[in-house]
Amino acid sequence: MGPLSRDAWAQRLGAFRASPSAFMAGPEGEDLGRDLLGDLRSEKLSEQTKVSLLALSLEYPAQLWPDVSAAEVAATSLLDTLVLLPPRPSALRRPLLLAATTALAAGGSLGPTSGASCRLLPLLLGLAAGSDLGRGFVPASEQRPLQATACECLRELESCKPGLLGGSLGLLRGLLGQEGPVQPLSLLLALALRNTLVLQSRVGAGLGGLLTDKVPPTGGGPWDWTLVEEGDGRLQPQAPSWPAAEEGEGERSLTAREHSPEEARELRAAVIQLLDTSYLLTPVAQAQLLWLLGWALRGLQGQPPALFKPQLVRLLGTAQLTLLHAVLALKAAFGEALFTAQDEALLLRRLTLAAQHPALPPPTHLFYLHCLLSFPENWPLGPEGEEAAPLLLGPQLCRGLLPSLLHDPMALLARLHLLCLLCAEDEEEEKGQLPSPRHYLEELLAGLRQRAALDEGPRALATVCFQASYLVTRCLAGQPTVLTPLIHGLAQLYRVRPMLASHFVDFLDQVDSELREPLKVVLRQEVVSRPGRDEALCWHLKMLAKVADGDAQSATLNFLQAAAAHCTNWDLQQGLLRVCRALLRAGVRGGLVDLLQVLARQLEDPDGRDHARLYYILLAHLAGPKLGVALGPSLAPPALASSLVAENQGFVAALMVQEAPALVRLSVGSHGVKGPLPVLKLQLEALEPIYSLELRFRVEGQLYAPLEAVHVPCLCPGRPARPLLLPLQPRCPAPARLDVHALYTTSTGLTCHAHLPPLFVNFADLFLPFPKPPGGAGLGFFEELWDSCLPEGAESRVWCPLGPQGLEGLVSHHLEPFVVVAQPPTSYYVAIHLPPNSKLLLRLEAALADGVPVALRTDDWAVLPLAGDYLRGLAAAL
Amino acid sequence: MAQRAVWLISHEPGTPLCGTVRFSRRYPTVEKRARVFNGASYVPIPEDGPFLKALLFELRLLDDDKDFVESRDSCSRINKTSIYGLLIGGEELWPVVAFLKNDIIYACVPLVEQTLSPRPPLISVSGVSQGFEFLFGIQDFLYSGQKNDSELNTKLSQLPDLLLQACPFGTLLDANLKNSLDNTNFASVTQPQKQPAWKTGTYKGKPQVSISITEKVKSMQYDKQGIADTWQVVGTVTCKCDLEGIMPNVTISLNLPTNGSPLQDILVHPCVTSLDSAILTSSSIDAMDDSAFSGPYKFPLTPPLESFNLCYYTSQVPVPPILGFYQLKEEEVQLRITINLKLHESVKNNFEFCEAHIPFYNRGPITHLEYKTSFGQLEVFREKSLLIWIIGQKFPKSMEISLSGTVTFGAKSHEKQPFDPICIGETAYLKLHFRILDYTLTGCYADQHSVQVFASGKPKISAYRKLISSDYYIWNSKAPAPVTYGSLLL
Repeated sequence: MGPLSRDAWAQRLGAFRASPSAFMAGPEGEDLGRDLLGDLRSEKLSEQTKVSLLALSLEYPAQLWPDVSAAEVAATSLLDTLVLLPPRPSALRRPLLLAATTALAAGGSLGPTSGASCRLLPLLLGLAAGSDLGRGFVPASEQRPLQATACECLRELESCKPGLLGGSLGLLRGLLGQEGPVQPLSLLLALALRNTLVLQSRVGAGLGGLLTDKVPPTGGGPWDWTLVEEGDGRLQPQAPSWPAAEEGEGERSLTAREHSPEEARELRAAVIQLLDTSYLLTPVAQAQLLWLLGWALRGLQGQPPALFKPQLVRLLGTAQLTLLHAVLALKAAFGEALFTAQDEALLLRRLTLAAQHPALPPPTHLFYLHCLLSFPENWPLGPEGEEAAPLLLGPQLCRGLLPSLLHDPMALLARLHLLCLLCAEDEEEEKGQLPSPRHYLEELLAGLRQRAALDEGPRALATVCFQASYLVTRCLAGQPTVLTPLIHGLAQLYRVRPMLASHFVDFLDQVDSELREPLKVVLRQEVVSRPGRDEALCWHLKMLAKVADGDAQSATLNFLQAAAAHCTNWDLQQGLLRVCRALLRAGVRGGLVDLLQVLARQLEDPDGRDHARLYYILLAHLAGPKLGVALGPSLAPPALASSLVAENQGFVAALMVQEAPALVRLSVGSHGVKGPLPVLKLQLEALEPIYSLELRFRVEGQLYAPLEAVHVPCLCPGRPARPLLLPLQPRCPAPARLDVHALYTTSTGLTCHAHLPPLFVNFADLFLPFPKPPGGAGLGFFEELWDSCLPEGAESRVWCPLGPQGLEGLVSHHLEPFVVVAQPPTSYYVAIHLPPNSKLLLRLEAALADGVPVALRTDDWAVLPLAGDYLRGLAAAL
Repeated sequence: MAQRAVWLISHEPGTPLCGTVRFSRRYPTVEKRARVFNGASYVPIPEDGPFLKALLFELRLLDDDKDFVESRDSCSRINKTSIYGLLIGGEELWPVVAFLKNDIIYACVPLVEQTLSPRPPLISVSGVSQGFEFLFGIQDFLYSGQKNDSELNTKLSQLPDLLLQACPFGTLLDANLKNSLDNTNFASVTQPQKQPAWKTGTYKGKPQVSISITEKVKSMQYDKQGIADTWQVVGTVTCKCDLEGIMPNVTISLNLPTNGSPLQDILVHPCVTSLDSAILTSSSIDAMDDSAFSGPYKFPLTPPLESFNLCYYTSQVPVPPILGFYQLKEEEVQLRITINLKLHESVKNNFEFCEAHIPFYNRGPITHLEYKTSFGQLEVFREKSLLIWIIGQKFPKSMEISLSGTVTFGAKSHEKQPFDPICIGETAYLKLHFRILDYTLTGCYADQHSVQVFASGKPKISAYRKLISSDYYIWNSKAPAPVTYGSLLL
């Protein structure tokens, strides 16, 4: 594509600026960066258009060249364009330098391996030094402005890569001493000096000859990146840890390093040089210089803060926000070392007058007021980080800073805060003062309420009234002399303008219970003492839903009953039901049952009737605590911001059974044989306290009769539970898998359902002994059983491997209860009853070292493979 | 100390968005530092559209304050400075410095060189004051001498180039954008050495110095037991020094006559090189006594090229220039008003104009008026429910004038009659508007001998003075009125 026309570019840039992200996602997005670089060299475009292209690249390099390599390519291209400019004055040199700097710094490719960086840095330093770069590179008329621009570019690069100019300190100092442009060089030198001090002290090195070496670091050779690399590319904040300034990490390392007397002298000379010419800088630049130098020298040995003193008187007299702010920064950095108690008092007075000076704009007043309440005192008393009136700021000084109804909301709140602080301090001694600040505060709040009560008043008037009340409760908590009239005033405000109910609800949500509880009482009183049929009914219901509780039940119910007849639309009915709900939660039962019944019948809206019926059913069926949980705030975050949805989700959470991960662990315990049926002994362990646990079992394949559920009233983690006995009624003698489900209530009142891992009933778990024959008749009894198995049954011989414990061990461990005849250690006859009605008979005789042949008979064919597997597995099972 | 972005937004109530972004500028290198410094708490600068919406919402400038919105109206969302947190896409962009002036919202986001959670105190963020200064600078540039919308548009279109000079990388170099304009225009002038950064060129021509003192007097008069009337003079001294040389030294003195009222709360321009401690410490905070410093107030300075405000001061004169008395009573369907005004004998009785505005808030249009005045004419603005008593150039010999009458109002219609949250019921005020040329209430003056110039050639000195009323209220003494704490201290 050939170069675009001026208009096409204007249109394209306009589209891009309207929404950069949309433009970049569109078809033209991809090519924009490339086209821009290409067209900068087009001869068809005017310089003005090219400047607008460069302006775009100054603002949006990340969109135009989104990765490091693209940024590097762009910077290279911009530098090429710069070099190729014909040797006549051009409006492009300055923006090209700025654009190349921005591309490198913002694109992240600034570094020793970047070719563009290695070209740009020496070029900038050369320009800053005013050196002759040859070939008419800089027309004479542009030299001065470009020198300043180069300094600005270097300063930006130094900000992004601290230490970059560490090697050029001496050069910059020299330039500042000669005819270089004062402001750009001063700021650049101050920044480079600050960064070098921090970095050098971190590695424990001194400044060395850095401040005196006047040879540029390039000297024809490569740029020196050592200091940058030592700094790890970490950025340096200007005021590292204000206000907790005392023990900042950076600080300590800075103070740790002592400079040699020579270094200290040079450093002091450089700082004095910078400060002495600082009046030549614009006020904002002076402020930057002071911030930089102040925090750089803080705690540095041999650098008395008194260096700053000559500047202070001049600065204190000005109205400039940045300058006074910079003085405050010096105050925070040096404290008593620079400001005596008298100086501190003077600074406070200047700040106080600036915070109310009619000649300054309101945003400035507010910022100064903030500075007053965050004033860096020499000896602060209060807790750090909290706004407080400085000790020296007495009532006399504050007089002009107190609020009045004529102030705009922000000024009013800011000044009100100060007034509250005064009231809090003057609790005891205020009797002598006329007028008392507290009385004034009361009058002011009353005035604010009066304004909020205006029918036509904008919402902002109400908002500021509640904000002021909130501020007062925050600052003056625990002072009944303030809070009591506040409560009554607010109740009165509600009486006059119930449509502020939303503000009241919000206010009740925010304040402490010290104010909330009494305010709730008077507000409830306000609502229920009304006939319940005025046009503000919706607000009353909203209010009542917030303040209704177990107290004053009958008045509340009377009000609701009266109101019900007037709740003719859906909104009002929902409002009414919300109050019922609040009462339900509060545990009100008696009269509420009747009311809900009436509502369930009478409300016009079917939705309202359903709701009322639901509440009625809940009230009738749920115990108090469960009801509280069911109606409590929804546990699940609502998918829609609708209260109804939220409410339904709350019900779902509270009343439905929740699927939950298993909070119970179940395992089969040791096998015991007692009674006529096999019994599974289960061990229970809970991970959290749970209540009303019900375990349900299901036998897969219906091998056994259905199992009864097991109930456990409560289970706590760490407290051992008694083993549960689960009797099995096999329909055939086979092992089985039991599916287990648990149903329980958590301590939060939710009912949960969990699927537990299945339990396995082994073949051996079904073994029951035959009734013991009378003494000595064992052999006969056994032979009888043995013979009875055939011919219907089956016979087999199985090799049962023996472990090191031998036959005796095997029998005593596994078969002991079933042995009928024993001739230890060589021969055992075993008879096992397998419910419902099978038998398994074993003869274990003539054991060898590694196994024993087992003759077995059973009257049930199906048992044979199970018995074989069982016997073969015994040795391993031990 | 840098800005991440700056915006100018025109507030257009009644339009769908309620505003338009007229200008914006982002600083990507600063943004990159913000990302590193802020770490996990970093919130990127949004595009113009979402920013506009969030800012107008926060400043309550959208047309939708009908309903309570918690994120804006909650009592715990207290803002006590012009620095805001904006909710954008679920994240909070902070700190946003912003204020509305003349239907333009000025906004910028200063860089905070640390994590934002917890938020550092504003006082420790160097970029905040710079941000304010930046926005004030833009405001001064846009409104200095600007008269209409097309001029404003021209100036807005100049901003991108100007900021390339005054704030190329987000760190403000000069809040006075006019300097940058001159810089762009005279880039070819080779600057000599040690040129101050705030002075972009040198003056060539006849040396002259002009000093003009403007005093504004404000007052709150109640005519009530237990509430003191208050009044205060606020002075602004503006200078223009057309002198040759790079850094001519000038000393300007302000003088008071023997019975003049001392100047207090003096704030000076940064070009003033040193200040007498008596000037620095004279303050309205202290109780007045006879030992108060009463001048001459000397200001040694190196003037900039353009006109500048040398200093601001306040003063407490012994009596208000015009003492007023206003009574308003509601009598069934009408209001009865009585007004007395008395010019103090020490005040120059030669006004450029003098008017008393008598507004009636929260009422319908004026339907009927009967009045009697001892002096001047009365103009009636029926729809606006406003009376203007034109007193003219001089008070009569007696120095005392009066107006009395009855006013009847029609039914209220919300669109036309003004609403006021303070003037409810009988609470009402009248406001005086007047101007006296070649006069100051304090007596403060500058003359030929007040200026010392250490430069070649004797300059022509011209001095001007004027007194203007500003917020000069006289409250109905028969009803409650808003008071300041100061007026309760008798």
